[in-house]
Formats: sequence, C-alpha cells, structure tokens
Amino acid sequence: MGITTRVITRIGDATLRWMGRWTHLTGFTARLFAILVSAESYNNATRSVVQKQIYFTAWQILPSFTLFAALLSLVIIQISVTTAQSFGLGSYALETVIRVLVLELLPLLTALFVALRSGAAINTEVALMNINNELRALEALGIDPMRFEFLPRLIGGTLSVLILTALASLAALMLGYLSVYGLQTSSLGEFRLVMAKVFTLPILLGLWAKCLAFGVAVTVIPMSAGLSASQKLFFAPIAVLQGMVRLFFVLMLIEVTALTLTYI
Amino acid sequence: MPLRANLSVLENIALVPQYRENLDFDRAAERAWQLLLETGQGECAHRRDPDLTSEQRFVALLLRTLIAEPPIIVIERPALLLPDTCHPRFLERLLDTLAPRINECWILDYTWNAPLYAPQPSTT
Repeated sequence: MGITTRVITRIGDATLRWMGRWTHLTGFTARLFAILVSAESYNNATRSVVQKQIYFTAWQILPSFTLFAALLSLVIIQISVTTAQSFGLGSYALETVIRVLVLELLPLLTALFVALRSGAAINTEVALMNINNELRALEALGIDPMRFEFLPRLIGGTLSVLILTALASLAALMLGYLSVYGLQTSSLGEFRLVMAKVFTLPILLGLWAKCLAFGVAVTVIPMSAGLSASQKLFFAPIAVLQGMVRLFFVLMLIEVTALTLTYI
Repeated sequence: MPLRANLSVLENIALVPQYRENLDFDRAAERAWQLLLETGQGECAHRRDPDLTSEQRFVALLLRTLIAEPPIIVIERPALLLPDTCHPRFLERLLDTLAPRINECWILDYTWNAPLYAPQPSTT
C-alpha cells in the first residue's frame, strides 16, 4: 500500500470514529430528552436517585464552592474597581465587573468545577457499570437504566450547575455592591439602575440558556463516553480521559458561541 | 448478573419493588429486610458488593430476583458464584428456607455434577 493510500485510510478512519462518537452522543442526548419529557419516567425510585444526585453534586460542595467563588469574585472586583478608579472610570467599574463575573466567568467556572468533581465521577461510574455488566443486570430485572441511572444524573447535574451559578452570582453581586458603595443602603437605587442596564431580558435568557447547556454538557458527555467504553477494565481510564477532553471542548464551544451571540 | 456496586445489599434488593411497583424506599426496604432476616443474612444488609463473602453475595442476588416474585428461578452453574463452598448443601438449606416464597426453581449444572445434588444419607 502506498504512503498516500495509508494517509488517506488513516484520515478516513479517524473521521469515521469521530463521527461515530458524535452520532452516539447526539442519539443518546435525544433519547434522554425524550425520556425527560415523558411523565412515565418519574416514580419513587427515580425521584430518590435525583435527590441523591442533587445532594452529591450540589449540596455537598455548596459551602466550599460558594466560599471559593466569593473569594475569587472579591479579588477580581477589587482589581477592577481600583484599576477603573485610577483611570477615572470608576462609574463604569460596577457594570464591567458584573458583566465579566456574573455573565461570563462564574457560569464557566461553575461548569468546570462541576465537570471536574461530578462529571469525572459520572464518567468513571458509567464506564465501570458498563464494563461490569451492571447496566445489563438492571435491564434483566426490568429496570430501565436510561430512566434509573442516566435521567437522574442529567437532572441532578443540570440543576446543580444552575443552582451553584445562581448562588455564586448572588454572592458576587453582593460583594460588588459592598466594594463599590460600602456597607450602606442609600445607593440601592443606583445599583438597581446598573442591574437593569446589564440584565436586560435577552441577556438574562441567554445566560440561562448558556447555564442550561453547561449543565446538560457536564452530565451527558461523561455518560455517553462511559457507555462507549469497550468491556475491558483497562478501557475505563481511556473512556474517562476521552470524555473529559470532549467535555472541555464542548464547554469552551458553548462559551465562545454565547460570547459571539452576545457581543458580536 | 452483578449487584449495583454503589448500593448496599438492602438497597439493591429494595430497588426492584421501588422501581417496578413505585413503592417508597421505606416500604421497599422493609420487604427486603424481611427477606434478609428469613435467610439469616441481616448483618450484611448495609454492606456493598466488594465487602460480601461469596455466600452473602449469592443470597443477595437470589433475594433481588425473588423479591420480584418470578414464576421460575433458574440458577445456572451455582459453583461459579460459590467457590470454596459445598454449594449443593448450601443451596439446599437456602432454598428450603425460602421455599414458601419460591414458585419453581431450576438448578442447571453439568451432568457429571449430578451426584453432588443427590439426597444425603441421614446420620443418626
């Protein structure tokens, strides 16, 4: 076989594998959404797993994540406010900080945090369940893994991203107010005006759509990658690695798309 | 078929009625607990798969099947799940204990293992 044929074969093979992975991901997401909107999917078992998932993904990390987000926000707010004031642009500081932190940085940071903590765990768990035939065992007992294993993770993970983003943003807004106006309430009117200027309806809808997309991505991509693992134990770390890299690129793609739609 | 590794024995057994009959966890766990007590395996209720002995794992798998009240239970080559155990005697005792709850039970094994299942002469 000539070198040209070998190169073309390799490129073709890689393209087909790449397309196969994304087709699997798209099909899996579509099936999951079909189950999500079906009322039959919800019973006592799925509800209790959803509760557990929210507890592990959101509640357990709530204090540490909120503290971390608050500290980071405080540092960024202080840097931005001080720099803006030194250039005589103090009146724009708060608006700039809210735009950077609440609209861009905190949602992405939350998604990355949940991806690292829960996405990696979900990826490993699903890969091991797949390798150990636990999913087939559930099916044999008349338990649909899509409803029992995957749907709760999707709901729990997505809600966690939304809740953590909302709380981190709330903390950042409070710190922003305190940094710019100090501990008093007489500037609340001015603060409300800045908020109304930043949070217009299209911006708010875009922010929630982005957070929702982050939430879906941090759960669906790891689950799909775990399911794609070949049934050999040594493929589990490879499935996790592939899933996490894919997740990182998708998160970045969502962020870049949101930025493009908002500012260009 | 394996147990769910991230659930305890009690949760693995309770999962079946919880999902199929829409029972809340407390009621499903009560049924699972009753079965575990009948087989004398209450102590392993809160253990997970890796912490179980092969006998406890076998009981958990059997009870997980039994709680769904299937018309027939098929146990295929039990020695695979019960290494280092005199499995015919173990199975006999276990199935006798659960007899009122079992509709029909088949044990499939190699023909050359048939003598192992023969009734034991009584010792007096």
